[in-house]
Amino acid sequence: MKNSKLGHVLEKYSIYIILVGMFLLCSVLNPNFLSSRNIVNIARQLTVGIILAYGEMLLVIAGLIDLSVGSVLALAGCLSIYSYYSTGSILVAMLVAIAVGVACNLVNAVLVTHFGVPAFIATLAMQMAARGAALYSTNGQNLLQLGDYVKVGQGSIGVIPIPVIFMVVISVIIWYIVNHTRYGRSLYAIGGNEAAAVASGINVKRSKYITYILNGILAGIAGVIFMSRVNAGLPNGAVGYEMEGLTAAIVGGTSFSGGVGTTMGTLAGAFIIGFLNNIMNLNGVDSYIQQMVKGLIIAVAVVFDIRSKNRKTRKIILVENSEKKEAK
Amino acid sequence: MKKRTVGMVVGAALLSMCFGVTSYADDAYRVAYIARAQEDSFAAWLADEMRAAFEEYDDMTLDVFDGQANDEKENSIIENCIANDYDAIIVQANNGEAQLPYIQQIVDAGIPCITTNPRVECEGTGSVDADPYEQAKVNCDLALEQIPENAKVVVLLGPAGNFHSNERRAAWQAEFFDKRPDVEIVGEDIANWNKDEAMTLMEDWVQANEHIDAIISMNDNMCAGALEVVKDDPAYEGVLAYGVDGTAEACLLIQEGRMTSTGLQSAIDLAQMNTDYVHKVLTGEMEVTDVRDDVPAPLITADNVEEYIEMYKENGQIK
Repeated sequence: MKNSKLGHVLEKYSIYIILVGMFLLCSVLNPNFLSSRNIVNIARQLTVGIILAYGEMLLVIAGLIDLSVGSVLALAGCLSIYSYYSTGSILVAMLVAIAVGVACNLVNAVLVTHFGVPAFIATLAMQMAARGAALYSTNGQNLLQLGDYVKVGQGSIGVIPIPVIFMVVISVIIWYIVNHTRYGRSLYAIGGNEAAAVASGINVKRSKYITYILNGILAGIAGVIFMSRVNAGLPNGAVGYEMEGLTAAIVGGTSFSGGVGTTMGTLAGAFIIGFLNNIMNLNGVDSYIQQMVKGLIIAVAVVFDIRSKNRKTRKIILVENSEKKEAK
Repeated sequence: MKKRTVGMVVGAALLSMCFGVTSYADDAYRVAYIARAQEDSFAAWLADEMRAAFEEYDDMTLDVFDGQANDEKENSIIENCIANDYDAIIVQANNGEAQLPYIQQIVDAGIPCITTNPRVECEGTGSVDADPYEQAKVNCDLALEQIPENAKVVVLLGPAGNFHSNERRAAWQAEFFDKRPDVEIVGEDIANWNKDEAMTLMEDWVQANEHIDAIISMNDNMCAGALEVVKDDPAYEGVLAYGVDGTAEACLLIQEGRMTSTGLQSAIDLAQMNTDYVHKVLTGEMEVTDVRDDVPAPLITADNVEEYIEMYKENGQIK
């Protein structure tokens, strides 16, 4: 009995145990890892990835996906810089970025919910279209001389970098939405069994629309933070960032089969990847080996996910069988 | 309803294709330029300058194609251009080895072909290039004098296997590191030409090392990313930073005194040379096989940066 309780606790909190273990291991491997500047660096480096990961997490829980988020981020960021050039207002620039992110994701939502296009294909198409639009709007050139726009990505309030404040606020909002709203609960139902969700009266289409809109808002905010952090409008920037977001979500326990995933798990997943990247850079590990290690971590996370799901399924079958025997 | 929607989409696609087609006079020479990747900012700049250079000629028109950094796509475009019977084809190879058999097909079809940025060695073609070794070497000559004894430096590389990155790195090895064994490389990694990836690496290197005396980058974009990390750090005031390309951003950084130098790879010069040579070949002034030239790789420093700033102001990249 005690063993099964311990196993349950280990299973439930395994991602946090791994995170703490990673933190301790990195502290031992390099003394610079624990410096306050390095910790702030890691948080700043992870901000864009974490914001995107939340969007992917919401989508994957609902059985959807977004492969376009890197391109949408680039388009939103570049267009927000143009609006900053003409208005000088960071607020307007942020709103433009969010509007672009939402518009692109509304197209994704329409394709997926109304035309029945698989999310994988619909967002792949958007990935190409948004990247093309970003390159077309900038003529393929980087946008320079951003002025105060860079404060969003490079400024601080006290000792805390502004991107980190964005990350914390967004984490709280997403956590609240997922855990304390009807919409949040509907995501798990849709991802777990869409037909059952429809039968139980959940407005599946509406929930999918909201999910893509939230993803668009997050992509827009991430676009502004990304461009201001690098002090340039990069139409070819953030290539492959959808994979960064997905990796954090999956390592953090979000299941590709849908219906499973948590905000804090995704945050922990992002930090595990971030700690790993950081310690490998601090210790001068060859970039080819870094890629191999990251691939291995993703494979291990998915194997763990599948095995834990199989265990749960076995438990359900055993319980059902014993109930049937008792009934007989 | 569905049929109507599909019809609208197909109609819109056809309409956009019609807008995309360049009209040309019947008697004008038709030239195809196959760019490596329009998402690569230098390649995009070169394509723009090609278009601008062709505007100067009444007897030539240019169609630009995007290889999308994909060998298979670029090879298909070459095949299509041969089938479309262009009068001349200029190829900016994504990967010289992968495009070589297809460039040979252009030659076999009797179409004059110039390879550019990078040069592809193929019998029967001409070439106009910017020598990546030379672009890095001009920086090395300066760095030999400037980088202090026993300095600690970091090196930022382009994508693995990239010809220009490898050649620039080879220049740094032969022209600097072999001559200065006292200099220690404390960090060297691939940032894929990207500013954001270079920032992440530099942030970590700054933590791992007490001090870094110089940033050696295989392009300006990555150099700018590394400098972004240390720009407000008084300990890094006066850090030496060397790049290649001579981008608008690098010129602004040199003007501000934050970047040391860059070897120019001028898209304007490349475009003008290509256009000039292809015109001479088409009008019979010279044989395509006689075309073999390199654009100069001048070093941009604080002493001469103003003239390049003016150049970028003229083409609108700097306001």
